[in-house]
Amino acid sequence: MTEPILTTPLRERASQALGDRFLHEALDIATTKFITLRREAFDDFPDGERLRDRARAIKEATLQRLDTYLETLVDNIERLGGHVHFAATAEEAREIVLGIARRTGARMAVKSKSMATEEIHLNDALQAIGVTPVETDLGEYIIQLAHERPSHIIAPAIHKTKGQVAELFSRELRRPGLPADPEVLTKVAREELREKFLQADLGITGANFAVAETGTVVLVTNEGNGRMATSLPRVHVAVMGVEKVIPSMTDLAVFLSILAKSATGQKLSVYTTLVQGPRRPGELEGPDEFHLVLLDNGRIAQIAGTLREALYCLRCGACLNVCPVYRQIGGHAYGYTYPGPIGILLTAMLNGPASVGDLAHASSLCGACADACPVRIDIPRMLVELRREVNERRIAPWSERVVFKMLARVLGSSMLYRGAARIGRAAQRPFVRDGRIRALPLFFGQWTRTRDLPAVAARTFQERWREL
Amino acid sequence: MTRAALMITCLADMFYPEVGERIVRLLRRLGVDVTLPSGQTCCGLPLFNSGYHAEAAAVARRTVAIFRGADAVVVPSGSCAWMVKHEYPGLLRGSAEAADAEKLAERTYEFSQFLVRRLGQTSFETDVEGPLAYHDSCHLLRGLHEGETPRALLRGLTGTTVVPLPGSDECCGFGGSFSVRLPEVSTSILDRKLANLEASGARCLVACDAGCLMQIRGGLARRGSPLRALHLAEVLK
Amino acid sequence: MSSRGEFLGRIRTEMTKTRGLFAATPSERPAQPGQRLELLRRELSERWPQTLERFRAEFERVAGIFHRVPTAAAVPAELVRICSGLGARRIVAWPAEELGMAIAPELGAAGVTVESMPHDVPADDERRRVRALVATADLGVTGADLAVAETGTLVLVSAAGRPRSTSLLPPCHVAIFDRAALVESLEQVGVALEAWHEGTPPPERGAMINFITGPSRTADIELTLTRGVHGPKEIHAIFVDEALARRG
Repeated sequence: MTEPILTTPLRERASQALGDRFLHEALDIATTKFITLRREAFDDFPDGERLRDRARAIKEATLQRLDTYLETLVDNIERLGGHVHFAATAEEAREIVLGIARRTGARMAVKSKSMATEEIHLNDALQAIGVTPVETDLGEYIIQLAHERPSHIIAPAIHKTKGQVAELFSRELRRPGLPADPEVLTKVAREELREKFLQADLGITGANFAVAETGTVVLVTNEGNGRMATSLPRVHVAVMGVEKVIPSMTDLAVFLSILAKSATGQKLSVYTTLVQGPRRPGELEGPDEFHLVLLDNGRIAQIAGTLREALYCLRCGACLNVCPVYRQIGGHAYGYTYPGPIGILLTAMLNGPASVGDLAHASSLCGACADACPVRIDIPRMLVELRREVNERRIAPWSERVVFKMLARVLGSSMLYRGAARIGRAAQRPFVRDGRIRALPLFFGQWTRTRDLPAVAARTFQERWREL
Repeated sequence: MTRAALMITCLADMFYPEVGERIVRLLRRLGVDVTLPSGQTCCGLPLFNSGYHAEAAAVARRTVAIFRGADAVVVPSGSCAWMVKHEYPGLLRGSAEAADAEKLAERTYEFSQFLVRRLGQTSFETDVEGPLAYHDSCHLLRGLHEGETPRALLRGLTGTTVVPLPGSDECCGFGGSFSVRLPEVSTSILDRKLANLEASGARCLVACDAGCLMQIRGGLARRGSPLRALHLAEVLK
Repeated sequence: MSSRGEFLGRIRTEMTKTRGLFAATPSERPAQPGQRLELLRRELSERWPQTLERFRAEFERVAGIFHRVPTAAAVPAELVRICSGLGARRIVAWPAEELGMAIAPELGAAGVTVESMPHDVPADDERRRVRALVATADLGVTGADLAVAETGTLVLVSAAGRPRSTSLLPPCHVAIFDRAALVESLEQVGVALEAWHEGTPPPERGAMINFITGPSRTADIELTLTRGVHGPKEIHAIFVDEALARRG
């Protein structure tokens, strides 16, 4: 269990998000742009479909021998002079990182973007022992200053206007009057963070991949903070979910060819950084210590679970961009670390099915996510499985289960079905005008508040059949 | 002579019987002997999508029995056709109806697929005032991988024009119970679809799914829009 | 924290409960990657002009600035031009034997100070001094191990005398390479990576390999693209027609 289960209903959080006009516009622009860029990148890439199939197969093959590949990874990292730690829970992972920070006397840590460290709520824990965590990815830096959580897996500050960022920087960095100009604001961030990079004792990152065969941890970034955090401070800690291991360098090339294209439409991100342990004896620069924290936190239980396929996830964000629900409500409304379609599955993985009682239904099951996913994860199938689990474990409200059981009975008998049509016809009479219904009481009002409903026909098709 | 059994679907049966009528008349005109196996209720998709799989399997079992022996089954909704073709075999695996479920899955066609792929018919006339714009229902496009047959039929129409719908492959927001579980989000998604429809310059949206039509028509009517949303069968003469 | 045995044990337990979702294999790896790379290089040497053209197009597509000179001796003059364009007065560079040419004399004559990176690792206070030099330099000059045509990417393997920050801290990065670095695709990069890790690495090899595709960038503020976030704002590639005499 990583995060406390939210008590505000999803519907309320969603409605709040829908009322935020800037968020709405920002989401529309950002998601549309990412969709277009991704489409263009793959249109221009005839080998794309074959490589997506390959990538999916590599992920599945890796899970089928996960223990062996992890052992090889660990042995190779240790051979290179690095240390590997094993964290069953978020708490264990935090303790491991705090332990390293304490032992090495760290006072400030620079962090390169890592959803895994978000997931385990590392920053607060570091702060609590007197180690200042500094987010260095521009989007993460912005939300850290604003005391918010990321709203998109790869564009964390997409919900903020440049005006809001200018105001935030002016206030928090004591540089009054900054203009709402992304160039200027980026330059300010560069200056502020450059100092931090050079002074930091500890660099904390995630990892996009870890190549078992060579003990290589791979970071995919655009800004350069990943390179800074892994080369300048004297200690580097990478936190990584166990499912990120891949067998070989040949496999790495397959993933690199589709990851950035899926996320932002770039052929490659600006920096792909391959970390192979601490600096070598003959090397001028690099950390003296390298640590990899392998994180379970609910992943291992899914190896044989319904969410196994979700372990293929590359964290590219493509599913968020195409999701009709995400595009309307943004990331914060989901309420947990990981938003969007894959986020619902990951939330269930990390926090258990009780955490997705309503989130499992935050989807019209349109399938756009599965289409966009570089490794073809069948997200809708697993959402339906989660809904099933929610019913079977009585997480769904009793009233709802009664309604569906009743529905099942009606659909199981043509007599009850015909009877339902007759009841519908009779009950709707006060509400029908010109064959349409504009307002209905109780639960049915959920539809009619914003949409007309057709009336039940005077005679159903099956009732008319004899005359046709 | 081609024989086809019509799976009318619960939504068409209750709310859009005229769609069923038009399909029957059209198919008969094309020389198809249309039957309506009796006692139909629903394909079970609403139960399945909400996670009531044992209950969905019971409905599937019933449906398989009703359609046993049919040479071809025609369905006016992409989502119901998907349910039968994609989920029935899995739901009934290992049961007495397993073989029949596989057979039914194989022989089931969504309406436009039946016309184009089974009957080879693409030229029809229409009385509907255009321009027309086609909306891809999610289950037909991404579930059954079919984006071509409805478009071929619209392209083959004499008497009207067809324009592209921006975001035609974007969900309309229906999603079954989703539309009433998260009605604000569902409506917001619908707003986007309607804005795209307006931007397309079309006078009429065409779709192959009763769920989509209920959502889209419901939104157009509430806004008092002059634009229409019709089932493909209501467009073909 | 969990022990290795406990952790892997739990994974094994879960693995026994399932056969997986479908039959799948990881990528087929070259049996003899070193040999494969050699063969590849020979093939590529026959079509290097096309590969170079493609590299140039992709490099420029990601806002890289491309230069071409006929000989190693012509490189310093090109650097002088770049420095004068930027007003660069103090630059850092990999040592001559790592670049394949000496650049300090000619740049010095043009008023640009060149700080050469040490080959051997000095004492800590010297390391700190060098770090500060690099952090305040106007420009950094490096070589490149691979130039990937498919994506316009430069691959730099860190090593003794080939430190990481030269291509990272200064606001401008210049990479010098010849035809031996050219490869066509990411797939071929995969072959190179396999080959480089076959057997024991040479003693001077470092612990990092960097793929660099254009200048540092972000679009985190309202999706507006800005360059030079933490890494360099500008990246130049100087291609030398003649073969460079640098350690492979």
